[in-house]
Amino acid sequence: MNVAQQIVNGLVLGSGYACIALGWTILLGVARLVNFAHGQLYMLGAFATWYAMVTLGLPYPLAILVAIVALAVLGALMQGAMMGLVMTQNLTSLMIVTLGLGYVLQGGSALIFGGNPQTLPGTLSRAKVDLGSLWFTWQDVLVLVATLALYGVVWLSTQKTRFGSVIRAVAEDPKLAELFGINAKVVYLLVFVFECSAVALGAALVAPRSPILTSMGFNEVIMTFVVVVLGGIGSIGGALMAGLGLGLFIAFFGAFLAQAYTTAAAFGVLLALLVVRPAGLSAR
Amino acid sequence: MTVIESQSSSPAALLRAAAVVVLIAVGIFLPRLLRATSVVYSTLTTIAIFAVMCYGVDIVLSYLGEVSLGHTLFWAVGGYTAANLSVKYGLNGWSTAVVTIVLCIIGAGFLGAVTLRTREFVFSLVTYAAAVVAYEIAFNWDAIGGSDGIVGISALKLPFGFAAYVGGTQEELWPVAFALLLLTLAFIGRFRRSRLGTTALMVQMNPALAASLGVDPRKVRLAVFVISAPITGLAGWLYAYQRAYVGPDMFETYFLVMMLTAVVVVGRRVLVGPLTGTAILIAQQNLLSLGGDWNKIILGSVLALVLIFWPAGLIGLFRRFGKART
Repeated sequence: MNVAQQIVNGLVLGSGYACIALGWTILLGVARLVNFAHGQLYMLGAFATWYAMVTLGLPYPLAILVAIVALAVLGALMQGAMMGLVMTQNLTSLMIVTLGLGYVLQGGSALIFGGNPQTLPGTLSRAKVDLGSLWFTWQDVLVLVATLALYGVVWLSTQKTRFGSVIRAVAEDPKLAELFGINAKVVYLLVFVFECSAVALGAALVAPRSPILTSMGFNEVIMTFVVVVLGGIGSIGGALMAGLGLGLFIAFFGAFLAQAYTTAAAFGVLLALLVVRPAGLSAR
Repeated sequence: MTVIESQSSSPAALLRAAAVVVLIAVGIFLPRLLRATSVVYSTLTTIAIFAVMCYGVDIVLSYLGEVSLGHTLFWAVGGYTAANLSVKYGLNGWSTAVVTIVLCIIGAGFLGAVTLRTREFVFSLVTYAAAVVAYEIAFNWDAIGGSDGIVGISALKLPFGFAAYVGGTQEELWPVAFALLLLTLAFIGRFRRSRLGTTALMVQMNPALAASLGVDPRKVRLAVFVISAPITGLAGWLYAYQRAYVGPDMFETYFLVMMLTAVVVVGRRVLVGPLTGTAILIAQQNLLSLGGDWNKIILGSVLALVLIFWPAGLIGLFRRFGKART
């Protein structure tokens, strides 16, 4: 068991977690909304990519674009339906509605894509890089680079641009923001559409690593939860650090202790943290 | 208190008590009235079990206004406790029920205490994550069943002194399920009028008032959550005997969506709401089924559409039409 290899594995896993968690972090932290359909959106993003590549015969970059656009449209529809609840900040109902919509997406996808496991064809995920005793694939490099780039862009645009401050103003107080001439509905819509496209991109990048199933749903992205809460809800830098840290933890735990109980171990870390620092790691 | 006690001897209350007795009698013989086939018995037993399962979520959602997404965990605790203890140690129904209650209280107390200082939606997140983690453990840990689960759970045995009630068939399980349902209804009815129930409602309706009266909403959340867990747990306990099998499928999202839908479809804070909701949903799935995937779409859409368009549920719709007519 090679320690250096486990560090590589940890970074590979962790960048995947952070990549899928990005949309959720923005939605939860910047707009203070929750979306329990996140797992099903991930599944749908993966299947949209798969469909575009296998049935439509598109190349990988175009297929990613198709998935992003498809989920953006779906996100706009979902948010349009939930707008009343969003504007009244009815979080309880929103959580339940998104859970229900996720269940609808799961049933619908099973009807459309069938119940069999599929694999995304990819040349990158089979292109191995061997560096002495270390190995990883070009897909892993792509995920890591894309994740770092995405977090950078998102951090800059929420902290340094006018649009970023508009979003944060709406999150603080939608009614007050509207008094200042900001259309809160449009802002919420855009943030939700961003979440859906971000998870589509995440799915298109991460899903080629393992077989995909329409029933995979939340179990597949449970780590996202842990990442978002660990990172301190809504902290962009915190989510990235939490994602990478969690990836390393999982890699070492899986390699040296028990592969089957990695999720349980991650959850144990989360519970311990909630007792010690209820607001997350990055809270001051 | 004296006012309430003097009311209970009035003719109206007597009439109500008589109505309850008649309803109970009708309930016991309901399957006979419906030309008892084993399908009827199993559908009714399932409705009773699932309704009890939903009441656990109901008191958290309706009276506290919080969303627990971890009640499938307690549902599975009940099932796994009944299966493991009866198959491996031959314990009777009373013992497995008591262990279920104790384990559910410990589990809920732990989860609730850990999330005590966090924001509300972190509570939902953590309860949901707990259920997923428990699924993984149940799936991988062969000592409690593993991915295959436990098959061949023997008939439910409930000894009373020297005699014992044995619930082997659906027909024999119906009175047990019905009794559990009645007990749950009585318990929920009491809870609504209890100090904790009214405090929980105050925290939900008017947090500022609750805070000014020195109520800590997080402690109320913990107490209600702990009380709700054994209710869902006992439903899972009986479900294990009904199916004679438990497995990791007890963690499926289906049960979670079912619990939430049954509560919201009729309307929150209605005593028989979850029962009616369960009956409607199970009747659709058992008698008018369109296949698994379509049933998922129906169940999920009902949940989402009700909350988006009629947040007060069917009862709110009914009331609105009633008002429009008069």
